[in-house]
Amino acid sequence: MNNIKKNLSPPFNIKTLLLIFIILIVSTISAQRVGIPDIIERLYESTLELVGVKDSSKIGKGLSRISKEMWPPVIESKKDTNLILNFDPQNIPFNSYIEKILDKSYEINPDTLLLELVEEDILFLIEPFGYLRTVIIKIIESIEIAFWASFISIILSIPLAYYSAKNYAPNKIIYFFSRSSVSALRAIPELISVLFMVLAFGFGPAAGIMALGLHSAGFLGKFFAEDIENADKGPQDALIALGASKWRVLKLAVLPQVMPQYVAYMLYILDRNLRMATVIGLVGGGGIGQELKGRFDLFEYGHVTTIIIVIFIVVFIFDQISAKLRSKLIGN
Amino acid sequence: MTNILLSIKSAKKAYAGGINALDDVDITIYKNEIVAILGSSGAGKSTLIRAILGLINLDKGTISFKSDVPIVNNFQLIRNSIATIYQNFNLVSRSTVLTNIILGKISSISSWRILFNSWPKDIKIEALALLKEVGLNNININKRVEYLSGGQQQRVGIARALIGDPELILADEPVSSLDPETAKEILKLLKTTAKKKKISILCSLHQVEFAKSFADRVIGMSNGKIIFDKASDQLNELDLNKIYK
Repeated sequence: MNNIKKNLSPPFNIKTLLLIFIILIVSTISAQRVGIPDIIERLYESTLELVGVKDSSKIGKGLSRISKEMWPPVIESKKDTNLILNFDPQNIPFNSYIEKILDKSYEINPDTLLLELVEEDILFLIEPFGYLRTVIIKIIESIEIAFWASFISIILSIPLAYYSAKNYAPNKIIYFFSRSSVSALRAIPELISVLFMVLAFGFGPAAGIMALGLHSAGFLGKFFAEDIENADKGPQDALIALGASKWRVLKLAVLPQVMPQYVAYMLYILDRNLRMATVIGLVGGGGIGQELKGRFDLFEYGHVTTIIIVIFIVVFIFDQISAKLRSKLIGN
Repeated sequence: MTNILLSIKSAKKAYAGGINALDDVDITIYKNEIVAILGSSGAGKSTLIRAILGLINLDKGTISFKSDVPIVNNFQLIRNSIATIYQNFNLVSRSTVLTNIILGKISSISSWRILFNSWPKDIKIEALALLKEVGLNNININKRVEYLSGGQQQRVGIARALIGDPELILADEPVSSLDPETAKEILKLLKTTAKKKKISILCSLHQVEFAKSFADRVIGMSNGKIIFDKASDQLNELDLNKIYK
């Protein structure tokens, strides 16, 4: 008994201590470099502001610059009638009206070379739900991007999965290439690949579809391949013993077993693509993101709020639907 | 002799680590004969069955079908004449009862039909007749097999084996995952159908009583070697002690 005790190694030794010491030093340096102390200081400051000990904080100041302009969300659209081609006041869109707004601007007087206040009445065409409509059209575009990207990824991932599954790949070389391309597709984030897709397919939805589709094909290919590899071997053996060819075994003994999991992956990918489709517009991939970026750059924070609310609602609804579908499919 | 269905001659198979799974095994199986292989775990029973199916290659020796067809180059023929029943049933658990039975005839179904899961009517009728034969006449054929009990699943497994009109059924511990009552019923079913349809069975078993009542001939194996090979009514304690040390 005593002997055994002696042979047991202690829970920690000099190596463990050394390792802890190194981790501490490295993390301290790294925390300094990335500004962790600043985060703590700012959070502390804003907490003091919240409880009323301090008058102002950096976080409060930074956010208050736009928070006032973010509410209420803008849903109406306002267009200068002078900018509308062939504007006909008698024939304006349904539910819209024309409003006269006094526009004040400073202009340089050519004679005195001084800035002077110029007041001018401008006719604006106001559509009460005009901006909301624009946002909805844009979000529908995002949803379309997500659907097409998912479709492309499913189509691409099927051969990728077949050749990346060790027990079905025809030979090691094809297996290796397929596996590496699946990893490569997965390794490039959409936000980066969309930059290249914009060069290849131009600004707009096409670039977004390709970027999202390729990235999620990497994901699906990997998931599918692993499922094929891990599927129950019993039925496969039984079919091989009956003389079935590889693809017949795959179709009859593997697919039925992994199908619910596949559908769950597809729904997850669709879900994920929808969320990403709202973002890739920021870098030129089309959809609602493009609108969001534009409004943000124009400091039109009211519009930004509308966009964010619409994105939230759509993602939320879609999340609910896909969760229900998934549980139904796996449950059966 | 034309009566020989399967003959295994000096079969040898060693796994990595020097374990002899099959060590100079000679077995002959005649037409219309039920043979049980007894032996403890690791005696080489499963290896033997997998070798007959061509799922593993022998290091030495030959296995030939009907005395003149060596299996090594004729898997397709062998596979059409040999059906298998497994310990864990090896059914496609998420497919229906009907589909699982029809899988036994997979090599005679065209690829298009397989792609769309549309089975020929005559095969469907055959499958239904077999369901009755294996005692599953009250079952919903569109039920997934994962919802069936172990005994019912093995009955589906037997139906899948029978639909290919085999001359030989290999059974790899077909009842070891079933309770004793069900096991008895399944073996009885196997025996009566085999005798009726003149099918030979090579069946590995754990339980001596089952082997005695089920088989015409019992082969005892231990460490890859054949210890005895005699008619089931001539078995005695001495033989059994040799394989269950």
